[in-house]
Amino acid sequence: MIFTTQMTQLFAVVLGRDKERVTEALLREGVMQFLSTSEIDVEHLDSLSAVKPEVSLTELAEVRQRVEGVLYTVGIVPTRPQEFDLNNRVAVDLAQETARLDRIDGQRDSIRERQRSLQQEILKLEDIRRQVDLYGIDLGALATPAQQSMLAMRTGRIAASQVKNLEKELKGLPALHMVLGQQDGATHCLLLSMKRDREQIEKILAGVGWTSVELPKETLSARQGLFQEISEKLEALGAEQKELQAQVADLVKKEEPYLNTLWVNLRVNELCARIQSSFKSSSRTVIFAGWLASSKKERLSVKIMEASEGRCYLEWHEAGSEEAIGEDIPVAFNNPKALAPFQMLVSNFGVPQYGTIDPTPFVMPVYLAMFGLMFADAGQGLVLAVLGALGAWRLKRNEAKQGLYNLSWLIIWCGLSAMFFGVLFGSYFGMAPIQPLWFDFHGIVAGHAETSSVVKDVYDILSITIYFGITVIVLGLLFNWINLIRGRQWMELLFNKGGVLGGWIYGGGVYIASYMVGHNYKEFPPGRTIFLLVGLPALLLFIKEPYHYFRHRRGYGNENPNPVFILLTALMEWIVELLEIFSGYLSNTLSFMRVAGLGIAHVCLMISFFTLAEMTPGIFSILILIFGNALVIGLEGLSAAIQALRLNYYEFFTKFFHGTGRLYTPVSLNSEL
Amino acid sequence: MAGPLSKYAFINAKLRARISKILPDEMFAQLAKAPSLEAALALLREGPFASLEQIYASTGDLKLAELELLKDEIELYRGLRDYLHADTKPLVDALLSRFEIDNLKNAIRIYFDRKIRKRAVDTSTHYVLHDRIIHAIPIDIIVNADSFDEIARVCGATPYGRIVSKYSHIVESEGSLFRMEVALDHHYYDDLLGAIDRLDRRDRQVALRLIGVEIDLQNISWIIRLRKFYDLPLEAVLTTIVPGGFNLNKTTIEELYRAQNVTAVLQRFVEGKYPGLSALMSSPASSSTSRLMLIRRILDEIRRHEVQRILGGYPFTVGILLAYFLLKADELKKIRMVLNAKPMDRPLERIESML
Repeated sequence: MIFTTQMTQLFAVVLGRDKERVTEALLREGVMQFLSTSEIDVEHLDSLSAVKPEVSLTELAEVRQRVEGVLYTVGIVPTRPQEFDLNNRVAVDLAQETARLDRIDGQRDSIRERQRSLQQEILKLEDIRRQVDLYGIDLGALATPAQQSMLAMRTGRIAASQVKNLEKELKGLPALHMVLGQQDGATHCLLLSMKRDREQIEKILAGVGWTSVELPKETLSARQGLFQEISEKLEALGAEQKELQAQVADLVKKEEPYLNTLWVNLRVNELCARIQSSFKSSSRTVIFAGWLASSKKERLSVKIMEASEGRCYLEWHEAGSEEAIGEDIPVAFNNPKALAPFQMLVSNFGVPQYGTIDPTPFVMPVYLAMFGLMFADAGQGLVLAVLGALGAWRLKRNEAKQGLYNLSWLIIWCGLSAMFFGVLFGSYFGMAPIQPLWFDFHGIVAGHAETSSVVKDVYDILSITIYFGITVIVLGLLFNWINLIRGRQWMELLFNKGGVLGGWIYGGGVYIASYMVGHNYKEFPPGRTIFLLVGLPALLLFIKEPYHYFRHRRGYGNENPNPVFILLTALMEWIVELLEIFSGYLSNTLSFMRVAGLGIAHVCLMISFFTLAEMTPGIFSILILIFGNALVIGLEGLSAAIQALRLNYYEFFTKFFHGTGRLYTPVSLNSEL
Repeated sequence: MAGPLSKYAFINAKLRARISKILPDEMFAQLAKAPSLEAALALLREGPFASLEQIYASTGDLKLAELELLKDEIELYRGLRDYLHADTKPLVDALLSRFEIDNLKNAIRIYFDRKIRKRAVDTSTHYVLHDRIIHAIPIDIIVNADSFDEIARVCGATPYGRIVSKYSHIVESEGSLFRMEVALDHHYYDDLLGAIDRLDRRDRQVALRLIGVEIDLQNISWIIRLRKFYDLPLEAVLTTIVPGGFNLNKTTIEELYRAQNVTAVLQRFVEGKYPGLSALMSSPASSSTSRLMLIRRILDEIRRHEVQRILGGYPFTVGILLAYFLLKADELKKIRMVLNAKPMDRPLERIESML
């Protein structure tokens, strides 16, 4: 758990006829991260070529994405393939499937086209309604549109048989016609159109044999509430539009079983093709290589043997061995599920190098301790934990939002930490109904702490965070030494800023500072002690540059530079390095005072809200306290979380963690798309 | 007088956070690869462009979705204006007038097609914005007007009435809106440069450079368009050129217009002013279309270069605001481009080359 997972490399040769079965076995196990064909650069095997799949990987991916596109439109996210799907894999006839998808797309596009033309009708009517709305036209009150209106109104008569034609002809224009009555085979109509379309309208009317007639006021009055009529028409069109929208959803839903099955089959074939894209082949054999966790070696070996019925040659190489191909070993985290939120914080910074310490198990206590010290309140912590739990509960089954799920769990952990420290400091929603188990943080900040307490004033609180910071920095240095020892980087272990000499100086600095504090800032430790603790390692550090120079010269060049120049360069490097060590470690340590600072700010904010509440009568005082707590939970919670993260990243990780590793991503049925 | 920190500290933090939310190039690559318009819209479902899919699904009308995008863009300016110091607000107002002028141009085009060219108006009236942007402009009346005089009269209370009135006879005699539109654009840039002039020294320098580059790009595109589609004499071209460009002086513009090979002149210009981008000029471009595409790409790169310069420089200036507007406009332009390309079944390479 402390170190990244031990990895092993497999180099395998199988017969070409077993290729498909072995591919399926590899996918079923889902533990191999394959080396690309260009990486498998094996001597005497130049004649090998890349395996050509029956259907190209790109084509498979394109059709699969197309199916996804259709499903996504109605909010269906296809479920990942299972082992059952792999066992029932069938070859995909891309031409046939594409033709069927074309048909589905065609049907959908034709509905969309109908929707579009219906929308044009809606827009036209809305155009008229806007005019009526702006300038007023209600036949009960006004027989003609107002002068400034863009609307033109006509009344007239046409043969009853021409009504349909009139409707058809007007379809392309923003116009509304209403039948007012019928008499002797003629229909009396009211036509509302835009003035700008006068010429076109007149042409249409002439075509259908329109005769303008001034209808009696009573007839017109019978059609009161034109606005309502337009609205009703719009409502009807809107309903029709919704129906068409539902038709698109129905179309996809009707095809859902087919589309889902096709998607799964395409995905399985695509994954197989992706695995085979890492294969190299000769006329009868296939070669592949890749990394997997050492713990999976036995099982995979058995599965490949089974799939090839023993007709295979498997060669296993431990990571770091000379026989292993390539030096870029993928890194697999090896943490229990409970640490997933903290692993997320680590991987957000970077992936550790193979074989080095994975800081995740240490980030958990360090991060939570920092957060708890900054946000120590049992009540507010409980709110955070409940909010986090709600988030985790909602996102539990949502695979696409695993990041948010982990974040919810992080909030739960932070809430629990705040509760723990809240109980230690006796703070419950800014109040202190129960005696603190450790010391009264609120009392100290407010200036009325008990004198018997171990921690008496703000300086004591600051000291706690400084000691905490020293512990974190020392832990970081120890991890760095472990990483360097494992990597056999002896000179770096000795001379680096985070190496033994750097640590020696830091330890000496801490002792000197403690000594001075212990003597009321009036006395330094004896000179010999200072020399041993800081002077000697500082002098030893001077060896670093000359050592680098001689190693470099021996390795690369025959030049003979001026020795004075070499000495001056070494001196300059040494001074800069010392400055960096002294200022760097000092600022790193003091940086932890922000933990106390945020904790004090948290208390101050709560005191302010309580003072405001005391000054306010009745229910408002309770509202102020509720608002204050909510604000503190939101703002201080976020602030504490960010500061804790910052301290981990910049004061802790930078001591030992390079984040330049490559994450282990095996090809499996669960592989990311 | 407020210092740069109090003016821009908040907006700087806010805009940098927003810039990080602008769709990355990978997303546009995915959009370009989307097999259909529906699939592309589905990709935009999670995020600020979710409404596009909703509108398209409920109307089948992509233009309406685009109109929504335009409204959002205008709201973006209005929203940010509220966060700004009083000294900077006039600049945002001037930038906002770009939308008003474009909308007015669209409305006048509809009138012009209907009344002068005697063409059917079809459905274009539905895609003009009727809401007020800065001035109260009765778009309904403009679209349905009987004459330019009527348009000029209803725009009388705005700065555009005078321009419409001045150029109406030219438009009618030439049968083209070109000069009126150029005059409206000139008004926009005059107004913008005036607003920049009222900024303090540091802001003025930053804004003049960025807007100056925009003006250069506008001028270059006009020159290319004028050369390709019109055959105007140089004097006429020079009157269309917007003053206030950052890199292009009158001589370069003359040279660009006269040159047989615009790419070669542009190459010299890029090599002189943006040596880092000169590698782009070596790309092969045989046909005139691909040459135009290449030029457009270069212009976009110049803009991007300037924006990056602003983002990497002193943070408390008006530059962050302008850079954000440019980045956002670029994002929206790309979205429009990809979405419009989908129903036309444009090949992937073509879409990618446009991005």
